[in-house]
Amino acid sequence: MLVLALRSVRQRPGRFLATLLSAFLGAAIVMAFNSLHDTAGAPGVDAVSSETLRTAAGVVGGYGTLLVFFAVASTLTVNVRQRAAELELLRCSGATPGQIRRMVVSEALAVALVGTAAAVLPAVLGGRLLVELFQDTGQVAASVDHSFGAVALSSGVGVTLVASAGAALLALRRVTRGRRRTVRRRSWLAWAALAAGAVAASSTFAFSATDEMLMAFPAQGAILLSVGFALLAPRLLSGVLGRLALGGASGWLAVRNLRRRAGELSGILMALILFTAVSTATLTMQAVESDEVAASGMVKSVDAKTLETLNYTVVGIIVAFVCVMLVNSLYAATTYRGREFGQQRLAGATPGQVLGVVGVEGLVLTVVGLLFGTLAALAGIVPFTVVRGDAVLPEQLAGVWAAVATVGAAATVGTSLFTARRVLRIPAVRAVGASA
Amino acid sequence: MVRNRARHDPRTEPAAEALRLVKVTKSYGTAESTVTALDGVTLGLARGTFTAVMGPSGSGKSTLLQCAAGLERPDAGIVRVDGTELTGAGETELTRFRRGRVGFVFQQYNLLETLTVAQNTVLPLKLAGRRVDRRRATEILTAVGLGDRLGHLPDQLSGGQRQRVAIARALVAEPRVIFADEPTGALDTRSARDVLALLREAVRVHGRTVVMVTHDPVAASWADSVLFLADGRLAGRMDAPTADAVAERLAHLGDDAPVGV
Repeated sequence: MLVLALRSVRQRPGRFLATLLSAFLGAAIVMAFNSLHDTAGAPGVDAVSSETLRTAAGVVGGYGTLLVFFAVASTLTVNVRQRAAELELLRCSGATPGQIRRMVVSEALAVALVGTAAAVLPAVLGGRLLVELFQDTGQVAASVDHSFGAVALSSGVGVTLVASAGAALLALRRVTRGRRRTVRRRSWLAWAALAAGAVAASSTFAFSATDEMLMAFPAQGAILLSVGFALLAPRLLSGVLGRLALGGASGWLAVRNLRRRAGELSGILMALILFTAVSTATLTMQAVESDEVAASGMVKSVDAKTLETLNYTVVGIIVAFVCVMLVNSLYAATTYRGREFGQQRLAGATPGQVLGVVGVEGLVLTVVGLLFGTLAALAGIVPFTVVRGDAVLPEQLAGVWAAVATVGAAATVGTSLFTARRVLRIPAVRAVGASA
Repeated sequence: MVRNRARHDPRTEPAAEALRLVKVTKSYGTAESTVTALDGVTLGLARGTFTAVMGPSGSGKSTLLQCAAGLERPDAGIVRVDGTELTGAGETELTRFRRGRVGFVFQQYNLLETLTVAQNTVLPLKLAGRRVDRRRATEILTAVGLGDRLGHLPDQLSGGQRQRVAIARALVAEPRVIFADEPTGALDTRSARDVLALLREAVRVHGRTVVMVTHDPVAASWADSVLFLADGRLAGRMDAPTADAVAERLAHLGDDAPVGV
């Protein structure tokens, strides 16, 4: 099975590109931050520098592992789903479920290893950049030299491999078993996340304006709420679509498509909600905090600076990952629809009308994702600004939100339209016949 | 450009000749390995006729249909549907022309999985921006025997039922020509008979022109005439065909072809 796995990766490297990219990005980030552990552990590093380095490594390292897992799982699920026919063929040719599992996991591991190997150099450079960043802001002594050692390498390889293997198993399970059984557990989890998020966000009021921990609770609250909304995504989408009536043939068709495909599209919606909530909440609160500190004329403490750097880094990482996930799932989902587009064209839709349908679908997804993501973010931002400043809505929100919305809309609508345009180049009769 | 000889509006009088092909040639593949699917085919079909196109696998019959319907672009030659020349138009123009005057029925039905029976049927009208007459759509669906299945999704229907939805969809836009590509290829004999009866009714009762590609002599015997195709060329014609005569002719179709070409 291992031979088969390696063959299948070698024959179609394109299909594994998204998985490779996620593994590469993940490994690079995990290794870059864990090299801070190596740096902190080197002889002759003072206590303050060491603590800053270790905090940064700890926080982002944890996030990184989770993100690698989700990103690889999402890209692999798409990959396994696309190959359903091939896996079915293997099953019919006498492969046991265990053999198929081993094949898919071996493929994932092979891709992860390549991704990790490619990530070493960028990770060394990234780690060096991080140390310089901390040195520039005075959080780490100038004498400290960046070192890339055992911790970085072992954690990078370990996290990426374990996450990839786990993600491959999860992807197989999702595709082969369907999702019916997990629905109840999922909605229970969703309500728990919403409740925890509401508690976390409202406990912000228990703090005073100058508490160091002030930002932690609303931020966690916003993230938990967005996780809750994300888990409820299929239901939210159907709820909105039930009330939606769009004019024109393209709008009419788009709404009907979305209604039937709500379950399939929830992955994309999830990514959008998380992306909107996490980036809007973190960036707005950080901007408010920085402005408040600047206004009061105080000098920022080392901790506050570390927190700021971390916030921006974490948001950067999340944005990068979510974009990869979003673009990949949308690309795969749209490519997969070649036959459907062909049928629309044979029924009398011009290429422009097909693109219109895809565009409207992307737009509806974006609006719903932004709506619930923004709600979650506001639930964190409002308590924070009420306690920290005096306003209810901070003036920084508008700019941040506009930027987040632009990136989200561009990724969603842009990817769909770009892919659909490519798919439409195939003549309609052939598109219908190819996957029949 | 879709060149209109006399500024044909879909609502104007239909042309006497529903379909005309002049020296249509089409080949597939790269420069090194070319397969000639159509080799200078010339034919004309009168309005209100039911014609079957027959030939062995690879004889070019599906390509003929696709070129005639403007779904594939011929390498050379002229295609005229309902008096309008299709040659050289872009896909958007061709689509606009097709949805006014051409209907399709395919072996694989090609219904949209996300739409109900009723929605699939009115889709061509919606896409063309024409007024959707729900009563008329229901009438047509009832006529094909699906009056009680309006809200069903395609995957809740049998193959024969799906094909009847496809026929209703092809009829609803009141096209001049209906192209059917192996419409009974995936059906049992009973469903096949229903589908063929509906196609013949479209010709007899509603005055449409039907061109049907098939490899089944029984299906071909429902047509007014059969055109035989071999190696991309017309190889004969039979009027008032019977299944046995068609099968006999088909079995000897390759006999007089030159050997070793």
